[in-house]
Amino acid sequence: MTSHPTNVNRRRRDLSPTARVLGGIGVALLGLVIAAAVFAPRLTPYSPRERSGLPYLRPGGSHLLGTNDIGQDLFSQLLHGARVSLTVAAISAAIAVVLGLAVAVLAGYRRGRAESALMGIVDITLAFPFLVLVVVLSTFLGRSVAAMVLVLSSVLWARPARVFRSQVLKVIEYGHMTTAQAMGVSPIRIVGVHLLPRLVPIAVAQIVRVANIAVLIEAALAFLGLGDVGRISWGGMLYFANTHNAVLTDAWLWWIVPPGLALTVTIVGLALLGYAIEEWADPRLVTGAGPVIGRRASARRLASPEVTVTSDTRALVLTDLSVVYRSPHGDVPAVSDVDLDVATGRIVGLVGESGSGKSTLALALLGLHRPPARVVSGQGSIAGHAVALTRRATVEPLRGRAVGFVPQNAMSSLNPAYRVLRQVIEAAEVSGLDDASGRAAEMLERVQIPPARWSAFPHELSGGMRQRVAIAAALVNRPSLLVADEPTSGLDVTTQLTILELLADLNRSLGLGVLLISHDLPMLARVADEIAVMYAGRIVEHGPTRLIIDNPSHPYTRGLLQSFPPLRGPRELRGIPGDPPDLRALPVGCSFAPRCAFVHDRCHTARPELAVVTDNRRVACVLSDAVPELSR
Amino acid sequence: MFTLARYALVTLVAITLNFALPRMAPGNVVDYLLPPEVAGSVSEADRQGLLRQFQLDKSVAHQYGVYLSNLSRGDLMVSARYGRPVRDLLLERVGWTVLLVGSALLIATVIGVSLGFRSGWRRGGARDVGALGAVLLADSTPPFFVGSMLLLVFSVKLGWVPTFGARPWEGASGLALAGGILQRLVLPLVTLVIASVGPVFLVARSAMISETREDYLLGAQARGLKGRQVRRHAQRNAMLPVSTVVLVSIGSMVGGATVVETVFSYPGLGRLMYESIVARDYPVIQGAALLLVLSVVAANFVNDLLYPLLDPRVRRSRSASQ
Repeated sequence: MTSHPTNVNRRRRDLSPTARVLGGIGVALLGLVIAAAVFAPRLTPYSPRERSGLPYLRPGGSHLLGTNDIGQDLFSQLLHGARVSLTVAAISAAIAVVLGLAVAVLAGYRRGRAESALMGIVDITLAFPFLVLVVVLSTFLGRSVAAMVLVLSSVLWARPARVFRSQVLKVIEYGHMTTAQAMGVSPIRIVGVHLLPRLVPIAVAQIVRVANIAVLIEAALAFLGLGDVGRISWGGMLYFANTHNAVLTDAWLWWIVPPGLALTVTIVGLALLGYAIEEWADPRLVTGAGPVIGRRASARRLASPEVTVTSDTRALVLTDLSVVYRSPHGDVPAVSDVDLDVATGRIVGLVGESGSGKSTLALALLGLHRPPARVVSGQGSIAGHAVALTRRATVEPLRGRAVGFVPQNAMSSLNPAYRVLRQVIEAAEVSGLDDASGRAAEMLERVQIPPARWSAFPHELSGGMRQRVAIAAALVNRPSLLVADEPTSGLDVTTQLTILELLADLNRSLGLGVLLISHDLPMLARVADEIAVMYAGRIVEHGPTRLIIDNPSHPYTRGLLQSFPPLRGPRELRGIPGDPPDLRALPVGCSFAPRCAFVHDRCHTARPELAVVTDNRRVACVLSDAVPELSR
Repeated sequence: MFTLARYALVTLVAITLNFALPRMAPGNVVDYLLPPEVAGSVSEADRQGLLRQFQLDKSVAHQYGVYLSNLSRGDLMVSARYGRPVRDLLLERVGWTVLLVGSALLIATVIGVSLGFRSGWRRGGARDVGALGAVLLADSTPPFFVGSMLLLVFSVKLGWVPTFGARPWEGASGLALAGGILQRLVLPLVTLVIASVGPVFLVARSAMISETREDYLLGAQARGLKGRQVRRHAQRNAMLPVSTVVLVSIGSMVGGATVVETVFSYPGLGRLMYESIVARDYPVIQGAALLLVLSVVAANFVNDLLYPLLDPRVRRSRSASQ
């Protein structure tokens, strides 16, 4: 069981360098403040309330920070104020977190009505404005350190309760608790063994976080005159400074600034430490460098689109495309040395198992690949415009104009917040041509969306309709090439067929070159003029559809054909034996060799190159000379 | 329906807490009705008279009934210090707090959202790290310290704006009045914005980060939309969590305003509360707090009502379930 809760606890807790640095700074800042609080009596000879000098003494001599309006030593007040502020914050935070923990555990353990009542109280407490509530409470509870702690903890427990609550729910999801309960294990044991170990690290993080808020609120209360007059905290110092108009005298520099800075230092320290502890408590919170869209660099390059027009009239010419995924253990090849052309008005089907690199190829072709994917090499032309795929900037100006793209999960490729007509119009405007809305309407009609549905939101349309809208948006500027990645996945069979018919129709009527990507070879065969088969990032066979279907040369193509049951006749599903290739550790020779029924000694020594065999057919197999032998 | 019941419950709790606090607090209830100078020297007979006058000699249930019926008429007892109805005092002051909190909410939202969206869109960039650092600092500096420093620099040292108050002396009118009011609003406003921009920024940033992973952005790019257009798509969806935090942050802003008004002697509800705390004018503290709490609860309620208007998906599922 990998999901056992205690395993999560035992996972090594490595802090990211950022958390380490920030946490270190936090500890240093807090250490400073705590040291000041602990050694206060040794660092200053005066007591904070003693009138140890003349009023408004300037800093210097025995009064490091001077004195206030009644001659009390401000340095002493600052050091002793640290004691009050820290004590109040620490105690209230501890009480609030323990209280929150108790409520969450109780709610999680009892479930049912007690649970909803408890969580209802949490919600109500959170609905009140913090500061106003504590002001009223401490007005009536009196002005003492004890009252302050009581007030703070009675308000601050609700947030940690909610945090613990979600953790308790996670533990319950694992199911161990319920099982243990059913087995009659005592409640204390269940909580002690299954719940608390999981919650303790989070409790530590919460104490720091609540202490952070408590310092600020205590200071605010004291500043409003609700602090303990006998034990002046930093907020209390500022209260006296404010009521005695320290701002109007020179005393502000040593009366207002030091306690203000001390508060800031403490709160920053707690926040930084809290960040580090939270990462330590829940490593899953840490998200690695995620994909970043629209990096600044590429946006800048956009300003000068480098479009070179060639005389090539093919919709797509692709040469030597290689894409790798960067990883700490080295680059993993996803697409290797792919050459592929799509002639104007032709449909080329690209087929392969998931993970074969076909989607990566499509994204790289459009400059839409995201880190860690990186295009190592590749050039060609799209509708006569030369492109260097190692530089996104050369493809970007062509997207939506010369090439349309219907990405995988096209269902979710429409923005849920905008009406579909608007999104097609927006796509039409990319071309800079007139009458974007007219062209959008025309294209929506062409893909057979009834005008009544044009103002619908994407979620209000069926899957098939959404797919049609996505196709309309891709084609509204009449590109020469359409790249469609699994355009029929997730649709029912009937809808799949109508989408395919639509694509074939658009292909004919618009003279569109189509690169159609799918894992479903029989489906591709219905519409494609040519089929290219991909395996482990390489094209292993390419040729006219009829030839590929009737007479597959590569053993993998044969496997693909057989793995789909015929539409009529005996339905027998035969998958290709063996596991999909591990791209991190491809064999020296042919990548398919470990799964190949016709494997040969030579297959293990050298990788077969994609070579033209006959009739425009390219095959990468050492047995390709022996095509007839393989035929059915 | 459920939402409505929840907010009704919160309101009831607030009202009841307001009723119960002086009765549960140490000391005699009468002490909370009188100015502190007087409270100690009231004779036993006067005490009884007061108890009868405010019906405090009746049962708690009866008192609660009286309290509720008074409250429903907007009657909030009488200020111990001024001898005037609390309601009138609140009405005099509430406008300034609405002005301060309202404009701070607007400005903090605009700044927090635009910076947060930028930061999230280019996460990890120099600007993002810089903005995060600045927000951490702004969040960690107590508002009254920020306020005191601003007051010191711009009022005392530079003399650009008056040190206290909300409006110029009598006699000013028209543009001069408006200018005077603005002049006195600037510093409290800046302080409150600094104090409250942090949460808005952080939510806007993380909402934007999670939108950058959505498929529809790939779709938008595939259709040839450029950087700024694509970002607008993401922003539209990232607005949802942001709208929630903005309205919820009214709560912390109202709290912040209490402190900020105190620093700048700005005559809003917060300053009134502070003055009443210093003068131990309990009925006013209670009235002001109740008003503030109920407005925050109302803001949260409005937020729950507005949310479906922003998200077409929620709008549909709500109407489907009705």
